[in-house]
Amino acid sequence: MTQVLPRDCWRRVGASAALALISLSLGSPILAADEKAEARPLYNLQEAPESIRDLLAIQEALQRSLPRTRKATVGIDMGGGSGSGVIVSKEGMVLTAAHVSGGVGKKLTVIMEDGTKHKATSLGLVAETDAAMLKIDEEGSYPYVEIDKEERALMGDWVFALGHSGGFNKERGVGVRIGRIVRWADQTIQTDCNLIGGDSGGPLFDLKGRLIGIHSRVGASLEQNMHVPIRVFLRHWEKMKASEFIGEGPFAEKPVAFLGVGTEDREEGGVEVKVVGKETAAEEAGVKVGDAILEIDGNEVENKEKFSAGIKGLKPGTKVKLKILRDDEEIEIEVELGEK
Amino acid sequence: MMKRSKSKLSWARSRLVVCGFALICAPLVQGQQLEARLRLSGSTTREAFEPLRGILQQCSAVVYDGWKSISFGVVITSDGYLVTKASEIEDAKELNVRVDKTHFKNVRVIATTVEWDVALLKVEARDLVTVEWDTDGEPDHGSWVVANGSTSRTRRRVRVGIISANAREVGGGKAPVVLGITLDTNKKAGTLSISGVEEDSGAADAGLEEGDLILSADEQEIGKIEDLQEILAGKEPGDHVKLRVKRDDEEMEFEVELRTREKIFEEERSRNDAMSGRYSKRRSNFKRILQHDVALSERSAGGPLLNLDGKCVGMNIARVNRCETFAIPAGEMPKIIEDLMPKTNDP
Repeated sequence: MTQVLPRDCWRRVGASAALALISLSLGSPILAADEKAEARPLYNLQEAPESIRDLLAIQEALQRSLPRTRKATVGIDMGGGSGSGVIVSKEGMVLTAAHVSGGVGKKLTVIMEDGTKHKATSLGLVAETDAAMLKIDEEGSYPYVEIDKEERALMGDWVFALGHSGGFNKERGVGVRIGRIVRWADQTIQTDCNLIGGDSGGPLFDLKGRLIGIHSRVGASLEQNMHVPIRVFLRHWEKMKASEFIGEGPFAEKPVAFLGVGTEDREEGGVEVKVVGKETAAEEAGVKVGDAILEIDGNEVENKEKFSAGIKGLKPGTKVKLKILRDDEEIEIEVELGEK
Repeated sequence: MMKRSKSKLSWARSRLVVCGFALICAPLVQGQQLEARLRLSGSTTREAFEPLRGILQQCSAVVYDGWKSISFGVVITSDGYLVTKASEIEDAKELNVRVDKTHFKNVRVIATTVEWDVALLKVEARDLVTVEWDTDGEPDHGSWVVANGSTSRTRRRVRVGIISANAREVGGGKAPVVLGITLDTNKKAGTLSISGVEEDSGAADAGLEEGDLILSADEQEIGKIEDLQEILAGKEPGDHVKLRVKRDDEEMEFEVELRTREKIFEEERSRNDAMSGRYSKRRSNFKRILQHDVALSERSAGGPLLNLDGKCVGMNIARVNRCETFAIPAGEMPKIIEDLMPKTNDP
């Protein structure tokens, strides 16, 4: 399957993928297809391993990929909970699950396997499929993994999962689990790599150490371990990078805009401010108890239900203009909405 | 459409966060599935491990209580010494063992160590095949490992996985001991009184009662919980503590036997435990363990962990949770076995 890739993605590809790109640009797609077929190792062509020698081939491939992939796998401390993630660029771009990053613009701590901590900020997320992106704040040169952009992984392929099961533990290090792809669906990969709480957001790799998914959730059976396919990330790459909140639940809830006033309906129309919350957007902008709010962004305020529903429909950080009647005088106040 | 509940996987430390992680109902996505026989521990995949299954068949034991298999064991001498997981067999009433196809009804428990949770068993045998301990150091991350999975009466089945994490000490390496009491502190008065006595604990057996005011332990004055913890810290299961208490204006003295915490107090189940199926009762406080991802149950610990060469890299000692199993590294076993073995000059 072809995948249109955001330009930025190419910068983090390894040498082999760069070569593939060159061969494509030379106009030999057949050659590229051949290379792709050749690249499938025997252990993924066989229905199942047949001998100890076949098992050793799997072990060797896995062990070759482990040092590099472990270094790029991180713990993520959300303050009150923890998950995992994986670094995918030298600059410190991290992929994780949406229910780990918890929103856009959140402050998090990324923990390397050796215990080094880095501050990070969450970028965008896809709420429906549990995909999220974050960026380590500090400039640096971070260990990172290659993404399987060609989506070579197929059902039945041997894979391994990394993650900080149960939270970061320096003595234990990153935990590795082996398995096969049990099911491939558009929005979900299922494997028999056993996952548990704390693994969320951690990486799923093919045995060559290319990132093919991000851990999301489990079912009751040991064989129900669900991962977000990397294609979900690639599809939404630019928007996520631009800190967009994509889609609606269930893995992340959109932040609700908050003004910070308690109101009552006025007979003459509009609403009267009865309470102004401390340290809220309303207080900061100078809204006072007794003010009558008549209009919001030029639209008449009918009653308190409609007024509050209107606010909730906006994004935190949105600036709204309130027309206010105070001491028989109409004034206009601009408020930058806060977050609830 | 079929619906199935899924749990999100972040590890929530606080209750507040736990509430946020309700179960998600995700529709079962349509699509082709890998046949069960081809999965990690599926029947076709297991065929590649056949030589190792043969080794497990011969040099490991199935341990039964009556008809019920309760753990596996490792054959360590040809004349019938076996080791198994102690805490899984301690309540067994009709201990019996099967090695390969031979059934041994007469099983003696020779010795146990609480520290490692290992029991030494003896059956009357002559030509058992023993495990070959691996002496090449601990296996690397990603090395295949093989253990006993479910078993029929005569035929073993393997379960497979890999070494998952660093070998290490877990939980302080020592089983915590308890008196079996819960306490009430009165900070103002500087007193410590018993608010509860656990069933089957040393405290209950000694005769301590709710309301007893603790005065001293091992001749040291006790004013707060920390004083008592300090005294317990240096103790082993089976040790005794001399407790002096005041009951109805009368001072009394009790010799209380210390027992391991997991025997007395029910462990609080974490969210991760809830998604883990059946795990071992004793699953922490080991001086050194190998961690692997072979999906055992609490009843399939105690047996050998083999590498692809068929050598024994460890003895499975605990199913910890959905993705972690612990084994005592082969390197620790000679000393453990030596300490359990009857000394030649023993009567």
